[in-house]
Amino acid sequence: MRIFVPRDSVSVALGADKLAAAIASQAAERGVEVSIVRNGSRGLFWLEPLVEVETAQGRAGFGPMTQADVPALFGDLAAHPKAVGLVEEIPFLAKQQRLTFSRCGITDPLSLADYQAHDGFKGLENARGMEPAAICAAVKDSGLRGRGGAGFPTGIKWETVRNAKAEQKYIVCNADEGDSGTFADRLIIEADPFCLIEGMAIAGLAVGATRGYVYLRSEYPLAIQILREAIVIATQAGLLPNFAMEVREGAGAYVCGEETALLDSLEGKRGMVRAKPPIPALQGLFGQPTVINNVLSLAAVPYILAEGAAAYAACGMGRSRGTMPVQIAGNVKHGGLFEIAFGITLGELINDIGGGTASGRPVKAVQAGGPLGAYFAPSQFDTPYDYEAFAARDGLIGHGGLVVFDDTMDMAHMARFAMEFCAHESCGKCTPCRIGSTRGMETLDKIMAGEKVAQNTEILRDLCETMKFGSLCALGGFTPYPVVSALNLFPEDFGATPLPAAAE
Amino acid sequence: MSHGTIDRLVYMANQISKAFAHDPEAKAVAEISDHLKKFWEKRMLAQIFHHLDEGGEGLDPLAKQAVAALQRKAQPA
Amino acid sequence: MGLIQETDYGTKPRQATALVTLTIDGESITVPEGTSVMRAAAEMGTQIPKLCATDTLDSFGSCRLCLVQIEGRPGTPASCTTPVAPGMVVHTQNSKLAKLRKGVMELYISDHPLDCLTCSANGNCELQDAAGEVGLREVRYGYEGKNHLDAEKDVSNPYFQFDPSKCIVCSRCVRACEEIQGTFALTIGGSGFNSKVSPGISEDFFDSECVSCGACVQACPTATLMEKTVIEIGQPEHSAVTTCAYCGVGCTFKAEMRGEEVVRLVPYKDGKANHGHSCVKGRFAWGYATHKDRITKPMIREKITDPWKEVTYEEAISYAADKFKQIQAEHGKDSIGGITSSRCTNEETFLVQKLIRAGFGNNNVDTCARVCHSPTGYGLVNTYGTSAGTQDFDSVDEADVILVIGANPTDGHPVFASRMKKRLREGAKLIVADPRRIDLVRTPHVEAEHHLALRPGTNVALVNALAHTVIEEGLADENFIRERCDWEEFAEWAAFIMRPENSPEATEVHTGVPAAELRAAARLYAKARNGAIYYGLGVTEHSQGTSTVIAIANLAMATGNVGRPGVGVNPLRGQNNVQGSCDMGSFPHEFPGYRHVSDDTARHILEIDWGVSLSNEPGLRIPNMIDAATDGTFLGLYIQGEDIVQSDPDTKHMISGLSAMKCVVVQDLFLNETADYAHVFLPGCSFLEKDGTFTNAERRIQRIRKVMKPKNGYADWEVTLMLAKAMGMTMEYSHPSEIMDEVARTTPSFAGVSYKALDDLGSIQWPCNEKAPTGTPVMHIDGFVRGRGKFIISDYVPTDEKTGPRFPLLLTTGRILSQYNVGAQTRRTENSIWHAEDVLEIHPFDAETRGVKDGSWVKLASRAGETSLRAKITDRVAPGVVYTTFHHPLTQANVITTDYSDWATNCPEYKVTAVQISLSNGPTEWQNEYNAHSAQARRIVPPVAAE
Repeated sequence: MRIFVPRDSVSVALGADKLAAAIASQAAERGVEVSIVRNGSRGLFWLEPLVEVETAQGRAGFGPMTQADVPALFGDLAAHPKAVGLVEEIPFLAKQQRLTFSRCGITDPLSLADYQAHDGFKGLENARGMEPAAICAAVKDSGLRGRGGAGFPTGIKWETVRNAKAEQKYIVCNADEGDSGTFADRLIIEADPFCLIEGMAIAGLAVGATRGYVYLRSEYPLAIQILREAIVIATQAGLLPNFAMEVREGAGAYVCGEETALLDSLEGKRGMVRAKPPIPALQGLFGQPTVINNVLSLAAVPYILAEGAAAYAACGMGRSRGTMPVQIAGNVKHGGLFEIAFGITLGELINDIGGGTASGRPVKAVQAGGPLGAYFAPSQFDTPYDYEAFAARDGLIGHGGLVVFDDTMDMAHMARFAMEFCAHESCGKCTPCRIGSTRGMETLDKIMAGEKVAQNTEILRDLCETMKFGSLCALGGFTPYPVVSALNLFPEDFGATPLPAAAE
Repeated sequence: MSHGTIDRLVYMANQISKAFAHDPEAKAVAEISDHLKKFWEKRMLAQIFHHLDEGGEGLDPLAKQAVAALQRKAQPA
Repeated sequence: MGLIQETDYGTKPRQATALVTLTIDGESITVPEGTSVMRAAAEMGTQIPKLCATDTLDSFGSCRLCLVQIEGRPGTPASCTTPVAPGMVVHTQNSKLAKLRKGVMELYISDHPLDCLTCSANGNCELQDAAGEVGLREVRYGYEGKNHLDAEKDVSNPYFQFDPSKCIVCSRCVRACEEIQGTFALTIGGSGFNSKVSPGISEDFFDSECVSCGACVQACPTATLMEKTVIEIGQPEHSAVTTCAYCGVGCTFKAEMRGEEVVRLVPYKDGKANHGHSCVKGRFAWGYATHKDRITKPMIREKITDPWKEVTYEEAISYAADKFKQIQAEHGKDSIGGITSSRCTNEETFLVQKLIRAGFGNNNVDTCARVCHSPTGYGLVNTYGTSAGTQDFDSVDEADVILVIGANPTDGHPVFASRMKKRLREGAKLIVADPRRIDLVRTPHVEAEHHLALRPGTNVALVNALAHTVIEEGLADENFIRERCDWEEFAEWAAFIMRPENSPEATEVHTGVPAAELRAAARLYAKARNGAIYYGLGVTEHSQGTSTVIAIANLAMATGNVGRPGVGVNPLRGQNNVQGSCDMGSFPHEFPGYRHVSDDTARHILEIDWGVSLSNEPGLRIPNMIDAATDGTFLGLYIQGEDIVQSDPDTKHMISGLSAMKCVVVQDLFLNETADYAHVFLPGCSFLEKDGTFTNAERRIQRIRKVMKPKNGYADWEVTLMLAKAMGMTMEYSHPSEIMDEVARTTPSFAGVSYKALDDLGSIQWPCNEKAPTGTPVMHIDGFVRGRGKFIISDYVPTDEKTGPRFPLLLTTGRILSQYNVGAQTRRTENSIWHAEDVLEIHPFDAETRGVKDGSWVKLASRAGETSLRAKITDRVAPGVVYTTFHHPLTQANVITTDYSDWATNCPEYKVTAVQISLSNGPTEWQNEYNAHSAQARRIVPPVAAE
């Protein structure tokens, strides 16, 4: 009997380790021979810990499991109180197009054999037979855009680094996943670390880099541990000739997710945003040409090299090619990771996939793209999930996070939170962010207190302009998006009468 | 002339000699006497000549030769 | 005369040869590739508002005032961080930009005190200016929000204060400390709104690693970091460009004044030696000029045991002249002489040696360079043909491997050290040869590849072993040697250097430097694209000082490291005008321009110009003058700006020589140690009170300009002129420029130098003549000045100063950042806060075996004498080696140093003295007697009221 008990942070937090122990002791008690595989998460968080049992029909799922549910695993599985049927058939999973996350939850994250049995290292092998320029071209042709938030074409970035002349080049992976409501980086590192390693090794071949660093946030201790082990395993297996990889822990600053601040931090300095140019592709880590990509961008690469650029580019809409691992969170019934081709509408994601709010109340707003992304109201749920379509509505795909709020949420409070978040995370380098975020909080406090609302609202809007166009990096530059979108969509939460404000 | 002064001059002459000791003898003697001529004030030269006349106690052989050579040039017979 | 305003172009200039043409506000402009949009605009006269940008620092892009719009590009990029591109169309002003800038400025002012009228920066505040430029009229946020207005001031530094309530967190101070000074003392503590400039980890400025170079103060656009003198006096109203009177770096400063009161000295961006940087001495320690100790009236006395009597200049001058004439009448014309000063101007030095050669009628002139860089002159003249360093300071920017021997640049030549550290941070490699672990060995972001911690006195063995490795391992540059040097001389030298006794393995016994380490260092230097050697008094102040200079010159030639930027042999000169005073003919065997007195051509030029006949025989050196004095044949001495009692070795011998003289004339700012033995005191005048020129370590002749009337009535050259006339000479000069004209017409290497040329060019590096009308930054480019470079054999001869049972330790001496030389100037400033007394550095092992604790009074004894000072236990020095400075007269470190000196030049062996250390209760009897004598010798009888 093969039983899968996930070992990712979410499941462990929900008692997966105790569950695994309980299954083992129950089996021993019953004299049943079981092999417990600690797989990664499938990303269906409302079902975690999701235990899977291998059956002739496929893997049957049980979740969310408690220790009390363990004995029933040894009885009639179909009658198990937590049975959810075959996992592959759960609509949330069945509806997905898992190109990047194809192995997540299926394999043992640290089993090289498992990884290779599921097409692992196929992309790297192909890349080894290609000219660096051809690898870059493949990534360019796939249409892959930076999944960290900026959406810059990955292939072009690689090409720039490839063409730069230097004795040492670097691949840096940004795994400082700081956006609230996002977890895709963690999930894939914990579920399929070799995929990231393979992606980085391919990047190294493509640009001529021999060193790779993963900047991983310290809040993900399990991911750090798993990735470090995976690097050792891959290196010892001789799979990474001429490519040395290292995990470096971040220290908790949101701004270090900004690529240039991240590089400063990697160099051992205080993480401060650097002015660009020079771009990191030409003068990045230690002043050398550097590919700096998000986990999701690098993890998408093995598929592209294994199956071809066309296969990846076949998915998506417009200039948004391939799939996006959307992370649905907040007040939502079915939260988790949903990888799908670009083009699905926001409404489908929230209502059909997410199943509406967890509270059962009407959805009031969705914040897309992290804490600095704009709010969308249900009236905008027809927006297709696409970089350009979101941008046209002042929205942000970002790192793929969606946070759902029901109608009890006070949006002025959320606008203030955006400013507060910015004030808390501001590195302090540029003035609009450093002082502006604090003045923004203060001004919103005045508005919420009903103090000269019209006047202060105008000041707030001016401030948002100053921050949006004046800030050095996206932290200050995007803080206005949630604020202004909340202000525009929910003026009543800001003390304004629904009628147009009369001139004073 | 104090004892101290001539001691210093002898010491200086010997020190200069050591700096040229690696040269063949004739060249060394020429270099040393040239150095003395270039840098020593006439009182100093007179004192060292006098000292040599008195026997040149303490002067290294090379220094002695160089001082003598210079003396010959300075006071042609 | 107004206040000199330097244009701030916002970002650094670019040297690229490729040019880019773009359009800014409808005007076309062409600039070097890589130039920022901000600088391009500034060059066409458009000042884009800015706060965090300044053209001495790398662009940072934080203030967000300099935003512009560029056609075809999204957003509003910062003009300071955006490089120009061909065909770029930039708009620096429109309503969107105006609104944005106003918005940013509104945020700034929402956290800034509104006390402009009473602010020390009022009238000279970039924040104030920028607020005006962007047209900010109100701060709608009000002032009750979160702010820093109550932040506490840090007044711990004696020269400047830090008022964080006025800080706009532009990081200019932090960046200046990093990029310009290289100390990394400052950082931004906290983040976001709580960001705060912080010295170290929440220390105050005084307790932090700050070295008070002033770069942060200069970089600050507001009153946050402000000179205390400006706070006290107010903003200056006029200024003049002048040259620092401290070390041989020769920093250019603006002396900023109100009336005749100095408000501050600010480094001048166009200064070719310092490029706008400074150190704690030049920037802040100028208060000695108006110190109460300053003597401003001439004084005379019959005997040195008498008190001083204030008299008129006429009386003092004729008293001195009469005595000199009388001595000459009685003892012959060779019975008097003089000493020039490396602190005085070229013109003053020239005049003193002229007075001696033409007026006294002998060549008994010497200078303080005797005790510092005389071996440099001898060594480099004989190998290369010129008595000077081969490079300009800028050359270091192109060095790939830097070998520092016997120099401590971060203390002795701090502004150049900062340049060097910058180059090292860019990736150049460093080798340090020094008995002591000087700061450069490991300092923020700089670490020496090799620290060759040799035993004092073994320099020649060390350098020979480096050369041995070069030859043995086939690393010599044969092409260079064949082209530029005499091959046979090279072969002879190479045969010598290949002798087994010169191998690293053999010299290890003497130097204590492991052979493998030394070989690695030799390879690093020899294989460098550009290898540069910088050395200091740790090379020259030895019995084999000259031999070491020669050995260094050989090594540089053998590796082809001479004659282009980035390489060379570079003596770091101790005093502001050591180079100049030597150039001006201060040595007893040389006329100005290093022409031997026996050189008939040179002598005739001077004889015709001066209208007298000159002696063709060398005169006395300082130690020989003192010997002759004790012998009774040398009885009169005119000493300008030099304190031989404190600075020269073997103090007791020096004192007995001076005491034997009949007339000692001292010209100085203060009653110094030497003046205790003087009969005439002529008050000196500081560099702020006179016109003239100094020549720095890179042969750069620079103007000093008078910003106040001489406190003592006359410039030093005027006093020398009076003395010359009283001695019967006919000389007439109405301005120092006329003296320089005389130098130019009589000295071939100075032929093109004049005050007009200096004003036009800013500065001139000699040689300057028809062949090089604007001077010579790097020497020996097309061949050595002497023709072919000469390899001279430099045999290692161990010093006679040896340790033994009585004196088992080796003392070496040096200086410290905050103090300068004998301390006459710096001790009379707040700098003494950092270094109130000389201390003895001793290794924990040596301290332990003697029961010495940190701070204990110890007696330091050598065969020459003994003194007491406090001990500092540190592993900076190796076991067996102790170290002290000589800045304080109380310590009298030179009571300890012996009469051993360099074989060729008599430069004293300050760097090696065998000593013993024992615990003591305080100053020695000798020190107490000396102090009592000083007090007695400095009594001044007030003048009797005129009848």
